[in-house]
Amino acid sequence: MIKRIEINYRGIFQKNLAKRIGSDIVIIASRMGQVGFSNGRYSDSPERNGIPCKYFTFVSPDLPEEELEAECGAKLDIDEANISVVLDDTMVKGVEPWGWHGIRPINEKVVDGGALLVVSRKEPSDLLKFIGQKPYNYRLALLEGDASLAGLWVYKDDLTYERILGAIAALDPQIIFLAAVTDYLWDKTHEEHRVRAANEAYEAVQNRLHTVTPSDGIEWPHEVPVLPKWNEFGEGAAVPSVKRGFEIGPRGQSRNPQFKRGTTKTMRPVVRFDLCTKCTLCWLECPDECFDPTSDGLYDIDYEYCVGCGKCAEVCPVKECIVMVDELKFEDNSSPWEFHTRDAQGYITWAEEKKGQERVVYPFVTGTGMEVVPGETVPVGKKLSAKRETRGKSKRAQA
Amino acid sequence: MSDTQLLEDVQLYEREDLLTGCQAVSQAVRLADVDVIAAYPIRPYTEVMDAISKLIADGQLDAEYIIADSEHSQFEIVKHASSVGARAFAGSSGTGWMYGFEALVVTATDRLPVLFLVGNRALDDPGAFGVEHNDALSIRDMGWLLCWATTAQEALEHVLLGYRIAEDRRVRMPMALAMDGAFLTHSQHMVKIPSPEAVQKFLPPYDLAERRLHPDNPISIAPQVNEDWVMELRRQNWDAARRARQVILESYQEFNQIFGNRYPTPFFDEFMTEDAEVVLVGLGTVAMPARTAVRRLREQGHKVGYVNLRWFRPFPTEELRACLGRFRAVGVIDRDCAHGSPDDGGVLLHEVRSCLYPLRNRPVAVNFILGLGGRDVSINDAITMYEATMQAKDAETLDGTVRWLGVRG
Repeated sequence: MIKRIEINYRGIFQKNLAKRIGSDIVIIASRMGQVGFSNGRYSDSPERNGIPCKYFTFVSPDLPEEELEAECGAKLDIDEANISVVLDDTMVKGVEPWGWHGIRPINEKVVDGGALLVVSRKEPSDLLKFIGQKPYNYRLALLEGDASLAGLWVYKDDLTYERILGAIAALDPQIIFLAAVTDYLWDKTHEEHRVRAANEAYEAVQNRLHTVTPSDGIEWPHEVPVLPKWNEFGEGAAVPSVKRGFEIGPRGQSRNPQFKRGTTKTMRPVVRFDLCTKCTLCWLECPDECFDPTSDGLYDIDYEYCVGCGKCAEVCPVKECIVMVDELKFEDNSSPWEFHTRDAQGYITWAEEKKGQERVVYPFVTGTGMEVVPGETVPVGKKLSAKRETRGKSKRAQA
Repeated sequence: MSDTQLLEDVQLYEREDLLTGCQAVSQAVRLADVDVIAAYPIRPYTEVMDAISKLIADGQLDAEYIIADSEHSQFEIVKHASSVGARAFAGSSGTGWMYGFEALVVTATDRLPVLFLVGNRALDDPGAFGVEHNDALSIRDMGWLLCWATTAQEALEHVLLGYRIAEDRRVRMPMALAMDGAFLTHSQHMVKIPSPEAVQKFLPPYDLAERRLHPDNPISIAPQVNEDWVMELRRQNWDAARRARQVILESYQEFNQIFGNRYPTPFFDEFMTEDAEVVLVGLGTVAMPARTAVRRLREQGHKVGYVNLRWFRPFPTEELRACLGRFRAVGVIDRDCAHGSPDDGGVLLHEVRSCLYPLRNRPVAVNFILGLGGRDVSINDAITMYEATMQAKDAETLDGTVRWLGVRG
């Protein structure tokens, strides 16, 4: 028997956390007399900010180590997972690996009766708005908390790691059971609060298990692309480029349809077009060329390609004109400029409702995570220049 | 071959001149109307960049001539030039060739038919200008065309043949034309220089067609593809290298039709092999003492011959197998090293033996390593090799024996 656990994580910010969880499942399982090993999906490039990546752990009570490796280790992705861990709930909108495969459902690998474990403050119904349907029942477990984000060499010691181990014990004790988790944490650290965190997560997950049935979730017409045979495409590693130039208006710019990268974002920029001074900075500075010039001199956003880096919000000279907002508040990638053009007042109301009263400042390199500062609603047309010191302070506060 | 030979009223040769191997190549670069040349000096290759720059200065060649800051840049420049549709030329020697290796590899995987001259030079250390073949041989597994010229006339003609073969849309691989440093690159011989009109009849303009990088043809070259695509691309390369054999045969045939029957056997030349029992096989200028030794040994009644291998990649498997399979013993001459390889032999030994392996009655193969670092290979050395190979022909247990010649001690 083989148990497979995949850990979906955000590149850079959660790389070490995912690796740590993956490797410690192996250690705990081996303390239980099982064999196991762990690896990352090699074709991921987890040094890119926010890119969805995977870490895998395989555990078996009865197979020799070599056989377990042969079954699982020689593969670049897994076919199925008993537990899919999701370390940041914005990934429930789907994840896009390196090009050519398109956006894959977050629960693609979850088996019949398996579990999807998501770190989130949302309700199951909030998340199932984005998750594809499966033809069988599986369990959705929510571990309450914010995405634990850190930097290149570290993970944040906010007990996410201990809580995930406790939650896995609750979901499938054949992988690791609770006593093995807590014994391990105690032996390793002699710190009571770590053991307590695992215990509490165990209980929380047991009490908050949600069974997902085939009628739950959305229709996800996802197809695995069929790649051409060696003699069916051009030689010399040459591929057709996107069309040159661009047209004015939404989606006017040519972009690679085979690699969109939009699942990289945890937040998206929301634009108050009525406050825009047409300074062009968002359009100029966007590293992914997501802004499309429109006929009225504004700049539309193609959210399919936006990676949520926040550069536009940072360079925008008008306070509250471009604000980064939780990606899970949005259910589609339609053009905000078209909405605004159709119904300016309706759009402003909608945008302000999405923006809410909180402004989240996301990590800068190795910050301590998100910081929340108060936002404000700006009346139509009243332009307030962005105060650099406000943002500067929050950066310093994190450092 | 005659100066006055006419083909459809075209004069075949414009003149005869005394040229070094490198100067002969520079004349071919002019005749091929090369568009972009990137240069970075290293002996013995330097001679050709000197000669080409003079042709440009004298107004005989209209080309971009770019002096790079290193071989790596030099090779990248011509790779990119080739990708936008320019016929491009570069070259190097020894460690310079190795310094640009990353660019050499991607030129092959990007399937860009640049022609490179490799003036064979020993790899450092110790510093040495002289010939050794390891520099050019280093690309043997990288998807390149690789052949050796033995005379200045051959060198000139193989630049023209090289572009013709490399640019064929069935091939589109980079081409390395190797020449023994000093013994061919720097020695002067009378060379017949073809007329531009005759060359035009043979060599069509370079056309990369759908793979040409141009604003009107927007493509991306060499994207990151990972495991989903690499194997298919390797399969394409493999196929192109196989197809190249047929294109080589066709190209020589066309060349022979225009310039007289210059190359009856494209992949290698056989010398006095009709009734031979024992032959030597080698690459490059070692053919001169070897063929002389054959003449002298023939006078003494020995049935010996010489096989001058011209094409190394693609390796002429079928042709060489059929040829060498007729003999009882084959002495393989290696002007290269493959330390610690099977039987501790040279590179060519392994290629030849591997080629012969499927034969039920294959000849004994023995190996000679000599002439390293530019050391002389004399007629007596060649006679010694023939004698040793003749001794080996009746003793199959000697198969794979390696002898060093001309080494002190």
